[in-house]
Amino acid sequence: MRKSREFDNVLDECLERLLAKGGTVEQCLRSFPEHADELEPLLETALATKQASAIQPRPEFRDRARYQFYAALQERERKRSRPFFSWGWQPQWVAAVAIVLVLLLAGSGTVAAASGSMPDEPLYPVKLATEQVQLVLTPSALGKAELYAKLADKRVLEIASMAGKNKPEQIERATRRLNAYLTKIAALASTQEVTAGVVMAPAAEEAPVVEEAPVVREAPLLPERARGGKEARIKVDRRARLRATVVSYAANHPARLRALLKTVPESVKPALLQAIAVSEAGYEKALESLD
Amino acid sequence: MQDEESLVQRAKQRDQKAFAQLYEEHFDKIYRYVALRIGDKTEAEDMTQQVFLNALKSISSFKWKGVPFAAWLFRIAHNQVVDYLRKKNKQAAAPLDESLVSSDSNPQLMAEHSLDVEQLLLATRRLTEAQRQVISLRFAGELSINQVANIMGKSQGAVKALQHSAIVALRKILLAGNNEEVQRI
Repeated sequence: MRKSREFDNVLDECLERLLAKGGTVEQCLRSFPEHADELEPLLETALATKQASAIQPRPEFRDRARYQFYAALQERERKRSRPFFSWGWQPQWVAAVAIVLVLLLAGSGTVAAASGSMPDEPLYPVKLATEQVQLVLTPSALGKAELYAKLADKRVLEIASMAGKNKPEQIERATRRLNAYLTKIAALASTQEVTAGVVMAPAAEEAPVVEEAPVVREAPLLPERARGGKEARIKVDRRARLRATVVSYAANHPARLRALLKTVPESVKPALLQAIAVSEAGYEKALESLD
Repeated sequence: MQDEESLVQRAKQRDQKAFAQLYEEHFDKIYRYVALRIGDKTEAEDMTQQVFLNALKSISSFKWKGVPFAAWLFRIAHNQVVDYLRKKNKQAAAPLDESLVSSDSNPQLMAEHSLDVEQLLLATRRLTEAQRQVISLRFAGELSINQVANIMGKSQGAVKALQHSAIVALRKILLAGNNEEVQRI
């Protein structure tokens, strides 16, 4: 037992030298000649194990993970410093009042004027508020996902505009919003409501025939099964259109932003690179969910 | 150690740079540890990311007791691995992830290296859970015996004995594998 414990210590001492201090097998064997025969094969195995364990994560995963982690860090900080009355953390009545206000403003033309505003313009908060209202008033998951895709397109336009105006902070804010929308699309695309259409897609004429007793009743405009089938097809069509939109954005948005790298000032390039990384990773995830 | 303590204290006080530094220092080791424990690169990626997001969530509850920060992170990773293996029940029959052996960009290195990774992944699956944990923490996580003992909740002597038995078992498994290959040829 004592001998065994002594050998465990010697082996560990050698491993420590091999693993952490850059020592060699030969040096260890010279230090412990009385254990050399037993040590040598074990140290060879340990060395091979060390080399084989040096698995490296894929660079693209490392980049994506780094960005997501840094975004989580910033989000934590943002939550902490967010004032009580602000979008995202408001009591329900505040949201309701805001909705009414925005609807009232819509009549005055302010909303229309704000719709084309950029992040550095006074009406931009009205634009964001209007978008929030649109989201609140869109009940279905598929509808929300479609809206988030449109908003993602707007944020990319804004990022491009802010890059031209040398405003990195505005780029970062728009990028955070873009990231949030793409994450939402991925999450909404996985919901049962959005995926259900894919499963219940068969056309009415292909629907299985169920034997049932004939019942005399008023004929609906469309047979029930056909109606169900039609609704499902519409949902599948909308889902396919959403996917096509996301595919198109996935190709165009990062490319559009990357093209700007040649012309924008150096000071906005880090923020622009971050926006490119976000759009690439975000669309990839959204498409995975839509597949 | 004092440097790490002050870094962790800063991270606890929501210093983003401090937490980012801890992330960069430990990311690869945690990834390697998880990959070796579960033998699945894709899952290892997601789990590694989750380890750090969980660490970010619970950093405020971390109490410095002189134990390296890595030990805390590896404990989070260990718990996730245990949960994963329990849920997936893949421990005994996980298919070998081919992509694990092709992540090296140098073709020659890859050719020499891939066989080792493959052998190691297959061999470690035949170790006991405790032996696999020691090998993963010591070789992939590059932790000292003291740190491994802390994470596993065992004495240093017990971990050294486990380490010894794990390397002996690994050698036997690898040699048996080689002999089978030679016989097939």
